[in-house]
Amino acid sequence: MKNCTIFFAIVGLLLAGCSGTTVVLVPDATGKVGKVSVTTKAGQQVLSQSGASTFAGKADKIPTQVKVLDSTKIQNMFGTVLANEPAPPLHYSIYFQFGSAELLPESKPLLIKIFKSIEERKSCDTSIIGHSDRVGDNNTNKGISLARAESVANILKSIGLAGNCLDVRYYGENDPVVATADEVAEPKNRRVEIEVR
Amino acid sequence: MIKMLPCFVKKLKIVIILGLTAVLHQPALADENYIGMIKTYQPLAAVLHAGKEIPVNIGAKLYPGDTVITQTDAAVGIIFMDGSVLSLGSETRFEIVDFLFKPAERNVSFTSKVSKGTVAFTSGAIGRISPESVKFITPTSTLGLHGTKVLIEVK
Repeated sequence: MKNCTIFFAIVGLLLAGCSGTTVVLVPDATGKVGKVSVTTKAGQQVLSQSGASTFAGKADKIPTQVKVLDSTKIQNMFGTVLANEPAPPLHYSIYFQFGSAELLPESKPLLIKIFKSIEERKSCDTSIIGHSDRVGDNNTNKGISLARAESVANILKSIGLAGNCLDVRYYGENDPVVATADEVAEPKNRRVEIEVR
Repeated sequence: MIKMLPCFVKKLKIVIILGLTAVLHQPALADENYIGMIKTYQPLAAVLHAGKEIPVNIGAKLYPGDTVITQTDAAVGIIFMDGSVLSLGSETRFEIVDFLFKPAERNVSFTSKVSKGTVAFTSGAIGRISPESVKFITPTSTLGLHGTKVLIEVK
């Protein structure tokens, strides 16, 4: 009986030793490595290198010193979640004439390509987001950005995309790609962004 | 499906009025506010939504406050409205504590809780707009993600 108690005490200690949070920073699909901070009540570690990891075993202890894990170790720990990741979303931009919802001629063939990529993904989860530049007042620009988003949505629907798979939004001049002063014409901001998820 | 505040408020009012006169038609309202969708699935997993357990399938929509729980050998892949990508391994419990995505107003945040299991996460537009705003809470620590991909194991 006594042995048994000791056995369970040891197993308990081992389990306690294992429990905690392991964090590993890895490159994204484009190869970019970001940064992550891991903070407990006692302190913080910052990971900023590919494969860098730390372990927070207890809330009142500082996370362990940063250690770089090799790819075998990362695969052993995270192979399953890495193998099951959904394909990253696709992003496209469609550009427009000045002050209008008329697409630039070169943007039209792109919509057919976008439609095909939506079909291939079997996705029913696409956002269409209209934007404008800063010429004209904000209300007018909201209207223009909505008209742009709707004309893209209508073209995609006319090609064959189901309307209930589209989420249409418009931000007017509030979310530019290129920041400009007010009343500046900027072709890159006269756009509709499409995200296929 | 137009997402602007005045329109949403109008719809909300209509829903409230309908709610007073008839059974509240929750899905119609909830549908417009979904924040993520399940893209890959290996059974068995469940989503806890408003205190109820919902079976999981590809194309299922997720909302703030939802918890995803996976069993042995299960896996769930999710893409959120901001384009961030999440993969959950087996025996994992993941809760969407807070998800706010209003890029035009620069009003964004994404906080989630991992109580156990394994997670791979790649941040999206919320992380680009406001790197301080993507957070994970685990039993022992808080993670602040400044882009882009991180792996988490909670035992």
